[in-house]
Amino acid sequence: MEATNDYLAGGLAELGIEADEVEMAVVGAAHQLFWPAILELLALDLAGVEPEPHPDLSQAP
Amino acid sequence: MSELDRPLREQAGAVAAGELDPAALLDEALARIEARNPAVNAVVATFPERSREMLAAAPEGPLHGVPVVIKDEWPLPWRAQRFGAAEMMRPVEPAASAPYRALRDAGAVIVGVGNMHEAGAGSTGNISVYEPARNPWNVDRCPGGSSSGPAAAVAAGLVAGAVGADGIGSIRFPAAYCGLTGLKPTFGRSALEGHHMAEITTMIVSGPLCADAADARLLGSVLCGEELAAGPPGRLRIGVIDGEVTEDVAPEVAAACETAIEQLRSESGGEVLKVEIADLPASALAAVLIANAESLDGISPERLNRLDPELSPIFRGFAKYRMLMPAAAALKAARVRDVMRRRVADVFDEVDLLAWPTVPAVAPPLEAPLVELPSGVLTADQANVRGAGLANLTGIPAISVPVGRDAEGLPIALQLQAAWGRDELLLDAAEALERANGREWVECRP
Repeated sequence: MEATNDYLAGGLAELGIEADEVEMAVVGAAHQLFWPAILELLALDLAGVEPEPHPDLSQAP
Repeated sequence: MSELDRPLREQAGAVAAGELDPAALLDEALARIEARNPAVNAVVATFPERSREMLAAAPEGPLHGVPVVIKDEWPLPWRAQRFGAAEMMRPVEPAASAPYRALRDAGAVIVGVGNMHEAGAGSTGNISVYEPARNPWNVDRCPGGSSSGPAAAVAAGLVAGAVGADGIGSIRFPAAYCGLTGLKPTFGRSALEGHHMAEITTMIVSGPLCADAADARLLGSVLCGEELAAGPPGRLRIGVIDGEVTEDVAPEVAAACETAIEQLRSESGGEVLKVEIADLPASALAAVLIANAESLDGISPERLNRLDPELSPIFRGFAKYRMLMPAAAALKAARVRDVMRRRVADVFDEVDLLAWPTVPAVAPPLEAPLVELPSGVLTADQANVRGAGLANLTGIPAISVPVGRDAEGLPIALQLQAAWGRDELLLDAAEALERANGREWVECRP
């Protein structure tokens, strides 16, 4: 928990972003919500998947 | 029955035939907004003189003389959009945006601007600089977001058609909560220019919110600048999947959607096929991450340090959190997009449609937008994005259609998705479903 708080508060401070107490509470809640899913996404094995160069989203790949 | 209660196409037909005076129709719409809007807060700006000028100059188009509402997401020549927020992250000015021009050239009369969830950043519509719009089916419930006002305006009978925008479900969620038909066209097919993110977004489209599929076809054709021609849907191969979008769903929603899928199968003489989309849950997060990354364009720490204090704390805090999201995740999200586009293309070799509930539960309370699912209690945003992100991530079209009501009378909706460019098939299928259920759900009014 301490590491999380350090990451959030420290990260914003390093970027020069100010956040009041309420905003920090939202930052913490967002982190709780997103971080586990982000870690899962990063762990997703997509090895061997070729990127689609310049995808045209109006059409099938 | 008031002329305003007739479908969009009938209003247009009656005006074209000289049976309905469009000036009287406009006056009626303005009067109805004045009478009914205080209860639903769907329309946040009217401009009667501008509307009358539009009518006076209206060409003989497919919507000649018909009043419509447009979401607070595009500029008009006399009004800059506010995006439902106390301030926007980039400067905006009044302008003739592409949706405005499409409506104008079709002869439509913009009678008001629709409310929306603050900065388009929510599926419920419960936060707005204008105070939230309210769901006409129960004014203590969320109307859905972010196109909350356009949906509430149509459901409340203020107009028969409204223009929304869909970045991650923002047409489909409010269509579902308000019992309407909402089309998210194929990416790039509908008018977008003039949107403040038009040059950046790979997610957002404009689209229609109407009572039924025929009206959505008419307004959608105007926005797409081409006729979304009607035709027989053929023997539909309807794809269904196992997974949280079909299983972690409130029982009444699941039952109504299963019934609708069977009705659609029977009506079209088609079949229901089980299909698989590996890693589907990752598509929702990938869509969110890409949308977040795109919204960071032009944002600096200095800019974030002078956010308007009237912005909601949720917006302010989340805008700052976005800066901490790892770049590797955004890149992985882009790779997930590549994979999902291929997998979805493969699925559409096997089936014509994918079908699952638009949202897993009916409209939650405005005061606490939480939904109770078999897996537990989730925020509506968490739950809703699961089934909506795929269409925006991959670019495919999707439609939300009403298919029932729960024990409290709140609308239940089914989402249909099709391959790129098959927007017409979605409308054909929606009309087939209406035939199959006797138009029971599209004829319902709050």
